[in-house]
Amino acid sequence: MPPVTTASDQTPLPFGAASAPTLDRRGLGRRLSALANASTAEVMALDAQSPPYRPLAPRIGLTGSPGAGKSTLGGRLAVLRSLQRRVGLLAIDPSSPLTGGAILGDRIRMDEVAGIERLYVRSLASRTSADGLAPNISELLVAMDSAGFEELLLETVGVGQVEHAVHHQVDTAVLVLVPGAGDYVQAMKAGMMELADIFVVNKSDLAGAAQLVTEIQGVLHAFPPPATCWLPPVVRTSVSDADSVAELSAAIDRHQSWLNAHNNAAQRQLQRQRYRLRSLLERQLAEMVSALGPDFFQASLHQQVQTLAKSLQVGFGSLSPLKP
Amino acid sequence: MKIAEKTESSSRAESSLRGRRILVAKPGLDGHDIGAKIIALALRNAGAEVIYTGLRKSAQYIARVAIDEGVDAVGLSILSGSHCELVTQVVERLQEAGAGDIQVFVGGTIPEADHAQLQAMGVRGIYTSDMPLERVVRSLAQALN
Repeated sequence: MPPVTTASDQTPLPFGAASAPTLDRRGLGRRLSALANASTAEVMALDAQSPPYRPLAPRIGLTGSPGAGKSTLGGRLAVLRSLQRRVGLLAIDPSSPLTGGAILGDRIRMDEVAGIERLYVRSLASRTSADGLAPNISELLVAMDSAGFEELLLETVGVGQVEHAVHHQVDTAVLVLVPGAGDYVQAMKAGMMELADIFVVNKSDLAGAAQLVTEIQGVLHAFPPPATCWLPPVVRTSVSDADSVAELSAAIDRHQSWLNAHNNAAQRQLQRQRYRLRSLLERQLAEMVSALGPDFFQASLHQQVQTLAKSLQVGFGSLSPLKP
Repeated sequence: MKIAEKTESSSRAESSLRGRRILVAKPGLDGHDIGAKIIALALRNAGAEVIYTGLRKSAQYIARVAIDEGVDAVGLSILSGSHCELVTQVVERLQEAGAGDIQVFVGGTIPEADHAQLQAMGVRGIYTSDMPLERVVRSLAQALN
């Protein structure tokens, strides 16, 4: 296996970041831990104190089934892209629904990243989220952006059918598929085919890779996007082939340039705001409903909804500041 | 419905480490991590979010991961006999990075005679392999809550 190129801390950055303040890793680490634990009320209190957020760093999402190789590929991609910019990577792993605990193992696949100053990797647990992301993901991404990264990578939980949520949070969505796993059909069922900006056929040294590429291209050509839209490329990757990772990186650059030329940032920002509001309300409602005793359900459904709507106002009324 | 109730009540009872982030790390050269993995699972079952490093990591690496991941505690699993040197290195790296407040715990083959020295370095808990998992979890929960 060829050695992975690593960014030397001494290399001056080609643009901007050389003058950026040094990353306060300890401060950011603590801040993200506090944010991940923040209640809906704390999130709102924080928002009330914060200046309006303007997204700066481009966001790239990696999604795909468990075992598709997202972590390994994401790690390689992050190392490569950190040669030219300061990169922050958020990697989400599933929480146990029984105890709420989690083993966050994405890092094991990213051994080389810990020595790179320009790269910051953070593991997150999906907790109560069932959409491949994590509670307060909007706030966590904003905190990462505010820390001065020039690019953010987001790796979802591998669940296979529900990761479309990542599409609402990133600029470039990369769908990682592997030959012979049947996850291509799952992705089609889940509508991921329409939401991916780049298709990756990973582990492309395995049998069936060429066939999978042909199948994806077949679907893309059968249902071509309008000429004004981006036509997703299909990239073959194998982590033992550094050139293939570079090819994926180049495809991401092309998509980013296309986005910049087709000024639709406002639309993406609106999508993010919708997602943020919806996930906040969903979490608050889920917490309230699970705390209800059996008596509550004696009332009619109409009354249940009315009572809950009133409690929702009360629940959101008290704002408490976020503890450090 | 019954299942859901059982799930909720059992998770409440056992989740003494909920919301805590703990790094389980293997410094040094010994090649056995079954103990580290069992501890990682026990902590997860108690509700903690556990980051596991894998084998043979340097003190520098462990401190960097602990800081980036914003953990509350680092558990070092050491079976090689070099615990005093390895713990010193990790504690020093954490302090240099302004993260001396991250609590350090040690598990593995740690002779009684070395406990005082490790505690003097700031180690909050020492867990040997004969200790029941519930006791380890309880002791960690007490130290972190």
